[in-house]
Amino acid sequence: MNKVMYLEFERCIGCRACQAACRECGGHDAKERNYVEYVNFFENRQTYPMMCMQCKDPACAKVCPANAIQITEEGVVLSAMEDKCIGCRNCTFGCPFGIPKFDFEENKMYKCDMCYDRTKHDISPMCASVCPSDAIRFIDHDEMMDLRRRRTQMNLIEGKKPSENDKWEYVPEFFGVYSD
Amino acid sequence: MTQFVVKPGVKNLHHEGEKLITTHCCYCGMQCGMHIRVNEKSGKVVGVEPRYDWPVTMGKMCPKGVTAYQTVDHEERIKKPLIKKNGEFVESSWEEALDLIEKNYKRIQSEHGKDALSVFGGVSMTNEKCYLVGKYARVALGTRYVDYNGRFCMSSAAGGFMKTLGIDRGSTLPWPELEHTDCFFMAGSNTAECHPTTIQWLWKARDKGAKMIVADPRETPTARIADVHLDLKSGTDSALANGMMHLLVKEGYVDEKYVDERCNNYEQLKESVKIFTPEYTSELTGVSVEKLVKAARIFGQSPRSVVMFARGVEQQMKGVDNVSLYTSMALLRGQIGKFASGVATFTGQGNGQGGREHGQKADALPGYRKIDNPEHVKYVSSVWGIEPEEMPKAGVSAYEMFDKIQRGNIRAMHVICSNPAVSAPNNNYIWDSFNKLDFMVVSDFFLSETCEFADVVLPTTTWAEDEGTTTNLEGRVIRIRKVREPVGESKTDWEIMQLIAERMGKGKYFPYKNVPEIYEEFRLASKGGKADYYGITYDRIEKEDGVFWPCPSEDHPGTPTMFQDSFGTEDGRANLAAVGWQQPGEVTSAEYPITLTTGRVVFHYLSGTQTRRTPFLMEQCPEPFAEMHPEMASRYALKDGDYVYLETRRGNMEVKAKITKAIRKDHIFVPYHWGKELSVNKLTSPALDPTSRMPEFKVAAVKIKKA
Repeated sequence: MNKVMYLEFERCIGCRACQAACRECGGHDAKERNYVEYVNFFENRQTYPMMCMQCKDPACAKVCPANAIQITEEGVVLSAMEDKCIGCRNCTFGCPFGIPKFDFEENKMYKCDMCYDRTKHDISPMCASVCPSDAIRFIDHDEMMDLRRRRTQMNLIEGKKPSENDKWEYVPEFFGVYSD
Repeated sequence: MTQFVVKPGVKNLHHEGEKLITTHCCYCGMQCGMHIRVNEKSGKVVGVEPRYDWPVTMGKMCPKGVTAYQTVDHEERIKKPLIKKNGEFVESSWEEALDLIEKNYKRIQSEHGKDALSVFGGVSMTNEKCYLVGKYARVALGTRYVDYNGRFCMSSAAGGFMKTLGIDRGSTLPWPELEHTDCFFMAGSNTAECHPTTIQWLWKARDKGAKMIVADPRETPTARIADVHLDLKSGTDSALANGMMHLLVKEGYVDEKYVDERCNNYEQLKESVKIFTPEYTSELTGVSVEKLVKAARIFGQSPRSVVMFARGVEQQMKGVDNVSLYTSMALLRGQIGKFASGVATFTGQGNGQGGREHGQKADALPGYRKIDNPEHVKYVSSVWGIEPEEMPKAGVSAYEMFDKIQRGNIRAMHVICSNPAVSAPNNNYIWDSFNKLDFMVVSDFFLSETCEFADVVLPTTTWAEDEGTTTNLEGRVIRIRKVREPVGESKTDWEIMQLIAERMGKGKYFPYKNVPEIYEEFRLASKGGKADYYGITYDRIEKEDGVFWPCPSEDHPGTPTMFQDSFGTEDGRANLAAVGWQQPGEVTSAEYPITLTTGRVVFHYLSGTQTRRTPFLMEQCPEPFAEMHPEMASRYALKDGDYVYLETRRGNMEVKAKITKAIRKDHIFVPYHWGKELSVNKLTSPALDPTSRMPEFKVAAVKIKKA
């Protein structure tokens, strides 16, 4: 997998298409694994998507007493293996981003696997595929670095873009997630 | 013809035992490209796969699009005709239902004349079906009373474009060009929620430094990212547009050469915008002078700009004026007919564009012809095989049909693909009218609120069980493919119209064996009209990623960019609008001190018949709410989530308050996707635009209290 997930929080329009699409992924059992939240709806409509960072040394896997959370050779952190997971929920507390979810009926954790059945063939995950505002993208590492530099250039040229809202105080402008 | 269309090098995930069928979403005018996943053994629809190579939407979908397929094999589908017996619906055979329809239609027409029947259509259907609705009403039933739900949605845009540009094509430019635009002036469009997949194009342009100016009483997710948010009062668009043009003229931003060569009425316009100084405009609209000046400078200095608008400006008593004025802004800047610039309206319904061009409207015939023009009547009659004298005269608009019911002129109605019990303004009047009908038939695939008033409900197919074409918001004609066989005993709308036509003794005028046969006749019927589809074939649509009308012959490339050389008016020149300012139909008073405005949320579509039955969407937004500023909430001692009682001169409702600073302090917003006690349209105003006959959903005076 040569591609990375690239998030631009500011672009999020709160439509939750990524969550609807997450349910569509094969093997996701019609349960979404990502989040979309308001920063503070009383103030404005800024939302942001949140999904697994696919950490290089993931806390969820480290705190798992059953070694149930596997990492693929591409670096994708998978949901706990069903036969190993003991339902202790350590992972849901260990993750600094609050990503893993717990299914109390099935007594097992589930989390974003970057649509591994798609991404292992270099097909974009469902969330990034559908995101109407390109807040979530699945792009080449080089393209991501280029985008980051370009955004900085734009800000240098224009200064802080004129805006009536203090959105820049709320959200970082970009965030890259490495998978390899 | 291929079922799965994909460009070389584009990868999709194919699940074992499934096939992908290429089509478009059933919801809004974006008509996002998608592949539907079908189980090869059961033939059932099981999911969706992005269509990465559809040039308008690039695989993007909103949550409605992602879940659209779930309505096809839905447990609440109506699978057999229903007849109301002793107040309860009972399943029946098609024979029995058609017998009953035939008996009642014939009885009513013999007692009260031909025009006692009426047809209420919709534009969430293919061009083939929309075309047939007009023919069905006029030829099979012989009635003048046919109109459609586009009156609640598109007709002001149509009226305004006809007046200024001479042709009503929703967008004068193709969507992928938006990437190269320098400035978007967007009025009354919450694009991020209502047409979300457009946002990618705005960002592509913004990444190159493009500016966005958004006029909306709410700081919507669209307005939030604007460079200037013109937070105007609902219903003051004509003042805002005049104010902007005042500044364009004053600051020298007018493209004098373009206006001189291509536009009429410039002197009149200059005269009429004279009084709209920033101070006066600010007083009328509630937008600060600084913002007005900043917006005019950004817009005026942009080399390529697009003026865009939607229901916010159209659903007003002056919708046509608003559209004409905003269009004139683009004309003053010399933008229409050029690359990456122009004017566009966001079509609300899937086939809002195609559906309004081909004779579903009370006064229109296919190809954007007029029923009061004898030449037009003669041509269409020849295609239909009737005598021109047999063509009924013009009818009345959608809302006015209910006046006709109240007066006893209309005694029966066939509602096709629409749910006016939720979507029409002043609901109480609509419900009372339905109850006054002698006989009512509804074709639908779910038991909508309108169905509940019916004597007979006919089960139709969803969009995925039939093929045809639609025209998206750009004016691009595209292909809808059949994904599965009809569920249960449901039939397509065209088969239903055909069956009733046979019962009325008019079967010979509806000889179609399949959809392509209807399309062939429809192409011919549109030939030579303003919306000319004659050169567009199914094959070409597939090969060329859709074809833009007008396209008069098969060797014509289609028309992605309109008005490059001349306009559609008689003298080929655009008519600038010189109209002043007028108050909305209802203004706030001491008794009704607050402005109520309505609109959509991203999770629901129109009357919600489909989206309220989709689990994911209902989880996100299960009920309507009254969005208000904390300052207003404080005045009425309301906390977030408290129930609030809203009352206008026409109706009342109770909803939960949702508090945010992202709305004007003097406005309340309620979304309209729910029926019965949750329908905000009980409260909305039926003040009609004098030209387009479109009701003023966007402005009503309301009083509130804690419930």
